[in-house]
Amino acid sequence: MPSTSAQSDRPEPPALTGWLYDGVTSDRRAVTVAIDGDMLRIVDGEGAVDTVGFGDLVPLGDHARIVFGRVGREGWRLRLDPLPAEIAARLPRQERHGGILDRFPIVLVLIVAALASVVGLVALMQGAAFAARLVPMSWEVALGDALVGDLGGSACNAPAGRAALDRLVARLALDTPVKVRIVDLDIENAVAMPGRQIIVFRDLLTNARSPDEIAGVIGHEAGHVANRDVMTGLLRSFGLSVLIGGVDGGAMTASLLASRYSRAAEAAADDYAIHALDAARVTPAATAAFFDRLAKSEGGDAFATRAASYFASHPLSADRRRAFLASAREAGRYTPALDAPDWRDLRAICGK
Amino acid sequence: MDEDAGAGGAFDAFTFTATWRDYLPIALSNLALTIVTLGIYRFWAKARERRYLWSHTRFVDDTLEWTGTGKEMFLGFLVAMVILIPVLLFIQFGAQAMAMRGMLGLAFTLLLASYAILLYLYGVARFRGLRYRLSRSWWHGVRGGSDESGLRYGVSHFWKTLVGSVVVALLVPWSMTRLWNERWSGMSFGDRTFECNVTTSGLMGRWIMVMLCPIAGALIAVILAAAMYNGDPGRTFVVTAITFFTIYGLMALAGIGYYAAFLQAAIGDLRLGRVCFHFDADSMDWLKLFLGNIALVIGTLGIGIAFVGYRNWSFFIHHLGASGEIDELHQSTTHVPRDAEGLLDAFDFGAV
Repeated sequence: MPSTSAQSDRPEPPALTGWLYDGVTSDRRAVTVAIDGDMLRIVDGEGAVDTVGFGDLVPLGDHARIVFGRVGREGWRLRLDPLPAEIAARLPRQERHGGILDRFPIVLVLIVAALASVVGLVALMQGAAFAARLVPMSWEVALGDALVGDLGGSACNAPAGRAALDRLVARLALDTPVKVRIVDLDIENAVAMPGRQIIVFRDLLTNARSPDEIAGVIGHEAGHVANRDVMTGLLRSFGLSVLIGGVDGGAMTASLLASRYSRAAEAAADDYAIHALDAARVTPAATAAFFDRLAKSEGGDAFATRAASYFASHPLSADRRRAFLASAREAGRYTPALDAPDWRDLRAICGK
Repeated sequence: MDEDAGAGGAFDAFTFTATWRDYLPIALSNLALTIVTLGIYRFWAKARERRYLWSHTRFVDDTLEWTGTGKEMFLGFLVAMVILIPVLLFIQFGAQAMAMRGMLGLAFTLLLASYAILLYLYGVARFRGLRYRLSRSWWHGVRGGSDESGLRYGVSHFWKTLVGSVVVALLVPWSMTRLWNERWSGMSFGDRTFECNVTTSGLMGRWIMVMLCPIAGALIAVILAAAMYNGDPGRTFVVTAITFFTIYGLMALAGIGYYAAFLQAAIGDLRLGRVCFHFDADSMDWLKLFLGNIALVIGTLGIGIAFVGYRNWSFFIHHLGASGEIDELHQSTTHVPRDAEGLLDAFDFGAV
């Protein structure tokens, strides 16, 4: 690499000195620069001359150590040392955070961005419930079928049990058509899935003390179906994951299977169940007792671990139990949700 | 350029001239903006951080320059998400839906295929992340890059990682060194290609130490249990806890020891033209870096996380050296990638 010097015998009075990279080689050339109107006249040690318009210069780096790039010439870098005042005065404002952010005070940017984020989150949470109602039910059914299908071999289908389950659902006379199935998994839980599907896992059935409890649970899940809570939950978690940037698949699955609905959505589903039970003349006390039992078992015995899965998706509160109890009327009004043979058949639906 | 700098063999090639006070406003405003934008600003924050760090990193006689932008990193991330989302959705929903329909075999096969695709893409992402960083790093008006797409590297990464870690864990040093060589041999700066032929010599001993940790931990557990066990559940818990922390503590320490040796060997074998690189951080240095980072984040109640990138870069440059002679470089003719580090970022491995 040739050693260069800034010696120039040209008589150019206000010569500025600096160095130049031409973007072609890594050679660092000492140059002298003269300002000629709107142009810079750059002369290197070997006498080669180049002229650049001010408009083509791009100031880079911080103002304390400014380097010029050149439009259309990648890697071209010119540094003037010292930077003459007449050029410094023409420099655009120093870039800090980049782009539009530099036009406003940082505190204002922070406040506006924070507010926008909060508004965005609230709009998403509220808007999801609204948007869920706009999703055609046929799409939701298709989604539900795609996700759950016919449950393969894990759905329990003993004919007598199936008939008993159908009678139980018919008795509730729900205003929303739902498809209830029992799945042979030792989970004490029930979930509403997209497309008006309700899945009750086997342990919930085998641990139930009466068909009235199952009626209450189905009524509650049917409430979620009627209120489009499943779709709302899906849209919320999907929107959140898009907003936060990054698909947290785990969270999405969790939100689907263990759908965490808002307190208000839970209360509304309870309300739906209470009305369905009342219309069907099934006692709500059994459902209240069922909640009670789950709550009391929180002590740490084996039952608690099974109950935990139900708690995770259905946060209990004394208020909710009380609401069921308060809706109970005189005992003579109620008959069991299923007669004894049907109840036996239903419990044997998984063939166990 | 001053040729003396490179003539005498080893020289203090890399210096880091930043100060934490200087960087503080950038760190704090980056953190604040990232929080209030729910993380979306992080791409611009990273660009700004690198612009600062690069411009305060000196190689021989001039600083580096970072020309990557937040916008291109954001767009790269979006594109990567479009590629990854179908795979992630299948892993989260598709496989489950198929399993529920009883197509267990097919679901399992496709699930394995999905993980294979992810492993392949991760290799491609590592290659492209490095290619992107070099293509946006300038020195003396010259940049780096690669003419390869990384698709072939992905294949190599796929099978070498599987053979190295899954089949025979003892081959991990072999797969790591081979992949390092392949990655860097595909990279160039200016018109020079990096060369690297690091071998596992000197690494096997350290890796075997890592592999022996669980055995050592189990031995300690047996000795502890023999000395302390008296049937008391509290005592049992203490023994279990000590064993647990011993095994993981030992593995972490041995892992740091191995990684320090690996990077010393790997960077120590890297050459660009007649320039050889060195890296002298030993296990203690790494341990101090990690503990320092942890203490910084905890001690500042999390705010210090804004300084972790700065500390890591400072550590890296402080321990990085070079020797040999610097030839004149010609401008890189490699393709300028537009995908930024999208894929790598999507895998959440976006280091500095």
